[in-house]
Amino acid sequence: MRALVTGANGFLGTAVVRALLAHGHTVRALVRPVADASELDRMGVTDIVRADLRTARDLPAAFEDVDVLVHLAAAFGRAEAFPATVGGTERLLDAMRGTDCGRVVLASTFSVYDWSSVTGTLDETSPVTEPSALYGRGGYAISKTWQETVTRRYAAENGWELVVLRPGFIWGRGHTDLAAFGQRLGPVQVVIGPCGRIPMTHIDNCADLFALGADDQRATGETFNVVDGAGERIWTFLGEHLRGEGIRRLRVPLPYRPVYGVVRFLFDNVLGRNDELPSILVPAQFEARMKPLRFTNRKARQLLGWEPPLDYRECLRRTWGAPVG
Amino acid sequence: MRRGHRVKAALVGAGQIAVEHLKALQGMPTVEIAGVCDLSRAAAESAALRHGATAWFTDLTEMLRAAKPDVVHVTTSPQSHYSIAVECLEAGAHVIVEKPITSSLAELEDLLERAATRDLVVLEDYNTIYSIAAQEILRRIKTGVFGAVVHVEVMYCLDILGPGGFADPNAPHPVLTMPGGAIADFLPHLASLAHAFVGPHRAATSIWQKRRDSLAPFDEFRGLVEGERATAALTFSCSAQPAAFWLRVYGERMRATANLFETRLTFTRVREGLGPLGGIVNGLDEGKAIRRAAVQTFLSKFRSGQGGYDGLTEIVRRTYGSIADGTPLPITPQQVREVNLMIDALRPREVAP
Repeated sequence: MRALVTGANGFLGTAVVRALLAHGHTVRALVRPVADASELDRMGVTDIVRADLRTARDLPAAFEDVDVLVHLAAAFGRAEAFPATVGGTERLLDAMRGTDCGRVVLASTFSVYDWSSVTGTLDETSPVTEPSALYGRGGYAISKTWQETVTRRYAAENGWELVVLRPGFIWGRGHTDLAAFGQRLGPVQVVIGPCGRIPMTHIDNCADLFALGADDQRATGETFNVVDGAGERIWTFLGEHLRGEGIRRLRVPLPYRPVYGVVRFLFDNVLGRNDELPSILVPAQFEARMKPLRFTNRKARQLLGWEPPLDYRECLRRTWGAPVG
Repeated sequence: MRRGHRVKAALVGAGQIAVEHLKALQGMPTVEIAGVCDLSRAAAESAALRHGATAWFTDLTEMLRAAKPDVVHVTTSPQSHYSIAVECLEAGAHVIVEKPITSSLAELEDLLERAATRDLVVLEDYNTIYSIAAQEILRRIKTGVFGAVVHVEVMYCLDILGPGGFADPNAPHPVLTMPGGAIADFLPHLASLAHAFVGPHRAATSIWQKRRDSLAPFDEFRGLVEGERATAALTFSCSAQPAAFWLRVYGERMRATANLFETRLTFTRVREGLGPLGGIVNGLDEGKAIRRAAVQTFLSKFRSGQGGYDGLTEIVRRTYGSIADGTPLPITPQQVREVNLMIDALRPREVAP
């Protein structure tokens, strides 16, 4: 099976390409015109299409002989995210129309959930953010929510098979400074709700589920949260991060609920409900970073028989131990 | 337009600056946002949802037919402004166009003529003129306390070549193909401010340089303008940091300094009878104003509002007022013509090195 992978040279992209190759698939990598593709070279990927989804006009050719689109490309930033992530997805899926490719695996995110309304366990049945509340979220959440909406529409209109994977915090070598850690103030790290769990997935575990979703018919039409398990506690994993990165920083724990109450009060009464403030001061964004909920990968385990291939200790070793060949 | 009915506004091009136009319109109870149009269905739909528009479209002709807007805001990429504005005027709508309004003077003249023939408004967004600082300086000039303006300096320092900027090699910005490249997008700010203080230009000269390796043909610009009332020095710098948007106005009795990226505005004036103490009093006054502005700038980031686009809100408000009751337009066709003639006189005359 040949997979067209967008964002193929990114943090998630290179891992997904490696996992697809390990699962015996052929990969065509779509990367930006001047992107560094040396990691893909090292993996032996020679089928590389260079195009920027914001402007590309010749995308249909990229779908030639492709069986599945694994769409990972997305942008960050308040202003840039929407045209790049959502406009780019529209351009990509417009190009897919009329080709023989009929399956899409989309990298969505936990950010699409309505964290304010969820209590207890956040799983695939939890509500996503309604449009009326969406614009109080950050640019990334807005664009990823729209990207998922757009992809679902195209899939429905064109009769494509669709698999939506929503990873939590993806971590791995060089990517361990998570938004769940709270707020850094100089040498102090204020940890809000230190006993809360982090919805986290190691990059190699996450990539494995993407490779599985690429051709497993049991995944067709389904949405899966991608986490390795219940998640580590914020305090514990922050400790691993500081130790692993050799950072000296004083950790100051604060309870979640009172701090959230203060943020809510300030936002409503002092800050004029300005949702362009730093995310720590916007309640909806504050919750999406640190709300203490329970997380599970039960659906992927039960429906696909998926087990994260790496246990937590191996993930730690791959992240801060000796580089893996 | 009948008095008392809600004015129907529409917008084409739901990108970054469109948000500021739509926010301004949302704050006006007499305006209905009747339509938002973008080639991207999601962008149009999202903007419509976010800003309470009645409908969204992916086709301009369809929007003009179905929504029948009284006013259309054109916030697409610069090269498409002309053809879109023409279609809107032909459909009987007034147009507010983001800068730069057209790619050439010929296109501008055609637009102005079409609008005049139909008794419609064509207006280019010179929001910095209506910033609080620029308006305060203009007010003092009008009252006479400033004395006549002698010279104006406008200096825009912004690194537009950074990641994701105009010269992103993965997706170069369309404005790069205009004369002057990315700086062409900022010249209307510089020229419109200069024009507001010194009037139409009699003569102008410019220097265009390229200091950094990028797709942009130029990243530094200096212009010197002889206006009808005074002189002006215009600067755009990609390399001078930190980012700032300085406006300095030198009058016969007073000097004003403003950073339009912040709320800083200070005045230094001639103090009769104080002798050498005048300098001390001015310095203390200026220091106090700078400290106060620094705190205000910091606090303003924690409050909702128009941020750096207060001038755009004012222009939109006044333009709709003018359309409704005939009060003067905030920016006249003659002003747009003169500003663009100044810009044309400052354009690079040779191919970039």
